[in-house]
Amino acid sequence: MSTPLEHELKQLIIETLELEDTTPEDIDPDAPLFGEGLGLDSIDALELGLALQKTYGIQLEAESEEARRHFASLRSLAALVEARRND
Amino acid sequence: MTTPARPVSDAPLTSQPWRHVAPSRMAAWDADAGRPVSWAEFHGRIGAWQRRLDALDALDGPGQRWLLHCRCPREFAAALLALWTRGDSAVLPADERPETLGALAAECRAALGDIPDGLVADATPSSPRWGPLAPARLAVSLYTSGSTGEPRRIDKTFAQLDAELAAHARLWPLEGRLVISQVSHQHIYGLLFGILRPLCEDAPLAGAACRTPETLGAWLGRLADAPMAPPGAVLVSAPPPLERLPETGLPPAATDRLARVHSSGAPLSATASAHARRVLGAPVEEIYGSSETGGIAWRDQQRDEAWTPLPGVEVRADDAGGLWLRSPYLASPGWQPQADRIAPGPAGFRLLGRADRIAKVGGKRLSLSGLERRLARHPDVLRAHALPLPGRPHRLGAVLQLATAALPWCREARRARVAELRDALSTAYPVSLMPRHWRFVATWPRNAQGKLGAAEVARLFRDLDDPRRPRWLGVEKDGPAACRVTLEVPERLSYLAGHFPEQPVVPGVVMVQWAVALAEEHLALAGEFRGLERVRFPQPLLPGERATLELALEPPAEGPRLAFTLTGRRGCHARGRVRLAPGEVGHGR
Repeated sequence: MSTPLEHELKQLIIETLELEDTTPEDIDPDAPLFGEGLGLDSIDALELGLALQKTYGIQLEAESEEARRHFASLRSLAALVEARRND
Repeated sequence: MTTPARPVSDAPLTSQPWRHVAPSRMAAWDADAGRPVSWAEFHGRIGAWQRRLDALDALDGPGQRWLLHCRCPREFAAALLALWTRGDSAVLPADERPETLGALAAECRAALGDIPDGLVADATPSSPRWGPLAPARLAVSLYTSGSTGEPRRIDKTFAQLDAELAAHARLWPLEGRLVISQVSHQHIYGLLFGILRPLCEDAPLAGAACRTPETLGAWLGRLADAPMAPPGAVLVSAPPPLERLPETGLPPAATDRLARVHSSGAPLSATASAHARRVLGAPVEEIYGSSETGGIAWRDQQRDEAWTPLPGVEVRADDAGGLWLRSPYLASPGWQPQADRIAPGPAGFRLLGRADRIAKVGGKRLSLSGLERRLARHPDVLRAHALPLPGRPHRLGAVLQLATAALPWCREARRARVAELRDALSTAYPVSLMPRHWRFVATWPRNAQGKLGAAEVARLFRDLDDPRRPRWLGVEKDGPAACRVTLEVPERLSYLAGHFPEQPVVPGVVMVQWAVALAEEHLALAGEFRGLERVRFPQPLLPGERATLELALEPPAEGPRLAFTLTGRRGCHARGRVRLAPGEVGHGR
């Protein structure tokens, strides 16, 4: 069962990246978002970065090691949003 | 009424033979009534159009450009000659969609014909005024309908049209036969073969466009019976109507009258060529070319699969098999590279398909043709087309025709199918170069020219920009009042949100809205909504499900009704009737 924030992020990903055939339930919170798993690519990373900035005011350098770590899975992304938006 | 053989002029158009033709001779034949239309009558129409245009800008000099769209071949021809002899040129829109017309109207003096705000000539005949058609002058601007990007404008001078018309007249003299056209004269092939050739060769053109095999049979039958009828007919056709000829064929009395069939727009399959030859009882001569190049070569597949260059046209292949062309029908005299690949042979050449289409996706160069070939390797994939999506240049879309049994019918099947295709691509392509949006079709979507055009591509992906719409996967028309549309329910459909959290379904009212919207689009339904009758929603429709929507307009005495049935693999999802205010049901385009 995913948390409300995780569900919100799943919908953000589906909307932003216009994923077809994908519903929030299809996204495994622990599976990698990029490459294997959801199969997202570097352009998706840029777009997702922009969406996070627009929605939660979070700034990420898309190509940075930090971004790679946060984008590892949905759960790590949720942890980032949780931490930053309480700042 | 026979026409004596005469030498073919090098300037069939600019010599304006219609100025000197005997007024009692036949300019057109009203095939529905079996009645000849004399040149005297036709000259009166040309004069009426000139009077209309003069009234609009008597003070403006020649060189005006007029947007021209007329479904009736005779009125189209009269308007065209009227504006040409004024010293003006015609802009021919490729279709009558509002966005097409709107974009062109700005660069034209005014719109003429059967389009919104189009001026038409009144019924009173007038004596025409003639003027020279200088070979170097602009005659028409046409628009291509490629599958990628915006339509491109192609200008033709009178000299280019003259060169092509002279070659046709030598190869396939009309000799006074009736010209029946099944293609749009808004495009170069229909313009040359359906309108300008009969005008230049003193052969009658049919009074209306011939849409169905039944009409064709009736007209040809009337040719055999009617007094004063032309001595035979030539059919100007294209792959879509020829592929749909009924197996039963036309009566022998009808086909006896048909001397020749032309086809252009796309190559005919060998099967379709043989079928058309058998059903129509006449040789099927195909023309290969494009709006830009004009005609390049021709063939009769029952004799030889190879293409023979048209008179005066030179063709050679470069090291990669790319076609190079030097042609009097082109605006410039030198050799020009083309996008097709060919294999030259002793008597002509074979077509090998398009040269590689290259796209830049996310900064990487990608051969779309290579991607399509890789997709087509899958045994269930009958045909593949990949393209960067309009408005989303970094995202690829793929249109795949699958064997009927392999079409995904629900979300799970579609996910599995996409995963399988992505997996098949993964050895050769990085994730960023894989199609993101997939459209699986049962029949290849084509425009009237037989091609998957920009409008069809845009239609297939329109749901991306409008989350209220179903995914459209093709339409089959059953005459003007009935059609079948294939749909899929996008997971991003806005109506799904918040309906039932555990199992989202498409609300019934949304299915009814879709039926009305699609009937407006495909059956030209227009009418005020009055109510519903006998509406049932037996099976819920789920995200990702594929279904067929059958639509039929019923015009009973008490007011028109739209009957709809939406059926998927699990059964019927919706059926019923929409009642409309009477007198406003249109007819399919």
